[in-house]
Amino acid sequence: MAVKTREFNKNNLIARSRGEKIFDAFNVILMLMLIMFFMFPIFNMISISLSDEYAVLRGDITVYPIGFNGTAYQNIFTNTSLWNSAKNSIIVAGLGCALGIVALCIAAYPLAFGNFYGKKLYNILILVTMWFNGGIIPTFLTISKLGLQNSLWSLILNSLLTAYYVVIVRSYFESLPKSIVESANIDGANDFRILFQLIMPLSKPVLATVALWIIVGHWNDFLNPLLFIGVKDKFTLQLILKEMVLNAESSTYSISLGNSGDTAGAAALGQQTRNAVLVVSMVPMVILYPFLQRYFISGITLGAVKG
Amino acid sequence: MQRGTPTKWAKIRNNIWRNRYIYMMVLPILIYLALFKYMPMWFLKTSFYDYKLLKGFDGSKYVGLKWFKRLFSNPNLMRYIGNTLRLNLSAMVFLFPLPMIFAIFLNELRSVRYKKTVQTISYLPHFVSTVVMVSMITTITSPSLGIIGKIISASGGVPKNYLADPNYFVPINVISGAWQSIGWDAVIYVSALASIDQGLYEAAKIDGANRFKQVLHVTLPGLLPTFIIILIMRMGQMLNVNFEKVYLLQNNLNLPASEMLPTFSYKTGMESRNYGYATAVGLFNSVISLFLVLIANQISKRTSEISLM
Repeated sequence: MAVKTREFNKNNLIARSRGEKIFDAFNVILMLMLIMFFMFPIFNMISISLSDEYAVLRGDITVYPIGFNGTAYQNIFTNTSLWNSAKNSIIVAGLGCALGIVALCIAAYPLAFGNFYGKKLYNILILVTMWFNGGIIPTFLTISKLGLQNSLWSLILNSLLTAYYVVIVRSYFESLPKSIVESANIDGANDFRILFQLIMPLSKPVLATVALWIIVGHWNDFLNPLLFIGVKDKFTLQLILKEMVLNAESSTYSISLGNSGDTAGAAALGQQTRNAVLVVSMVPMVILYPFLQRYFISGITLGAVKG
Repeated sequence: MQRGTPTKWAKIRNNIWRNRYIYMMVLPILIYLALFKYMPMWFLKTSFYDYKLLKGFDGSKYVGLKWFKRLFSNPNLMRYIGNTLRLNLSAMVFLFPLPMIFAIFLNELRSVRYKKTVQTISYLPHFVSTVVMVSMITTITSPSLGIIGKIISASGGVPKNYLADPNYFVPINVISGAWQSIGWDAVIYVSALASIDQGLYEAAKIDGANRFKQVLHVTLPGLLPTFIIILIMRMGQMLNVNFEKVYLLQNNLNLPASEMLPTFSYKTGMESRNYGYATAVGLFNSVISLFLVLIANQISKRTSEISLM
């Protein structure tokens, strides 16, 4: 609302000075250049995945496909290790999100509504993990000690509870009227029922935000799978992407699935297929994007103001 | 005292009983924290052992400061420290003010719809994973496939493989960091801008301030608190960002500029299986990081009277 008022006033100014006009034009162009900067790599990637092999090899592709060719996508549809890894990523993101939300609520409820001995210590024990952690190798050793290596549970459990999210959920809980909990307590409901049947339904906005954060975090996570997962059939999508796309030249031929006789063709198909794999890996994020926009934005503002 | 004690105990017991469900929530969370957050901290003592994965601490030999001595006599140590600081601090110095500047320019756009469009596009890169981003960087900087090579050869130059040249590693890291984080980090400034009192702009206008002066005297002071809060939050993560990207961008040719303490620690542990040495390197990195946080905190305390601790 406040923004609108200002626009209104600005547009109602009778005359802009010459300097202002120059600045406005400059600003519009600057933003246009920034749009190009932000979008170029993405369009470039999509275009390469859809282009003719010789155009790719000549380096002609910028932001539109040349000599339209969709073979790369046909190739990756038959790639079982890619789909298996996508399945693993969906399991981790889905379970990680569902369990993570429950854990976050259980962790945040006592902080928001509890009045118990040890609350201060409990709060400190959570906050400390925001600033200190063991680091890469000790985390790996812990997972190994717990016997979770090469299990998808290592990924789910290791990032189940993030202190920052606990703080955000707690401050949302605290903004709800305390009388809800008090009256439910008097009616004889226990804290679990209050949390699951009253507080959680009232906290949908913040929980949706955090749920999306968790899903995106799991989907794009590379470090933890790299540390914890060593066997091929448990690879997550990002690990397979790294293997297929970044372990560059050596894997070119295995990716191209050997459909093409001549070397040049195989190499180009490699480039196209690599980029096609990247494009496919981003599809879930694109589907989520409208929701991300709606909830993510409110979320960071929430975190900044109260966290 | 004698009379006070039983009632006090009764009160405590009463409180614990009343909160039994609360404790049933707290307990599993504490167990989780102990296993997954505090156990890694306890495993930091690996840096004093010749740790074998299958034997644990009981079966592994205690070696005292051996790994730290080895680290300090490593001829490459200064290079690792230099690269760690250079890659993290350059990213911070450049990427920290840019989102705020972007938000201010965005706010000065006259068309609301254009503003919304630019903003929506600007935070799209935030959702691109590091692996995908590094693949994009590889394509774009490639001398035969990439746009940069194309432009250079069109203007008569000879394109290079930029990722193989140590001199280009810091710029590549900063520019790709800008690509990924400017739009997203600007979101918070955009919402801070919306909450600035519009009356201040009116007052400035009446006083004869032009738009540049309005930005200088109204917008910037209005954003300062947000700026400082974010600065302080960022300091806590110093030297811990960037691992994934730097690790994925590394190749044998750019290693002189790209090997940092965290990547060296990772390789020592996960590739050479020397967990003790790797943990010692990681711990050393954390100590430097803590030291920097304390310095930054001190500076912030002196200059703005806002501090972390």
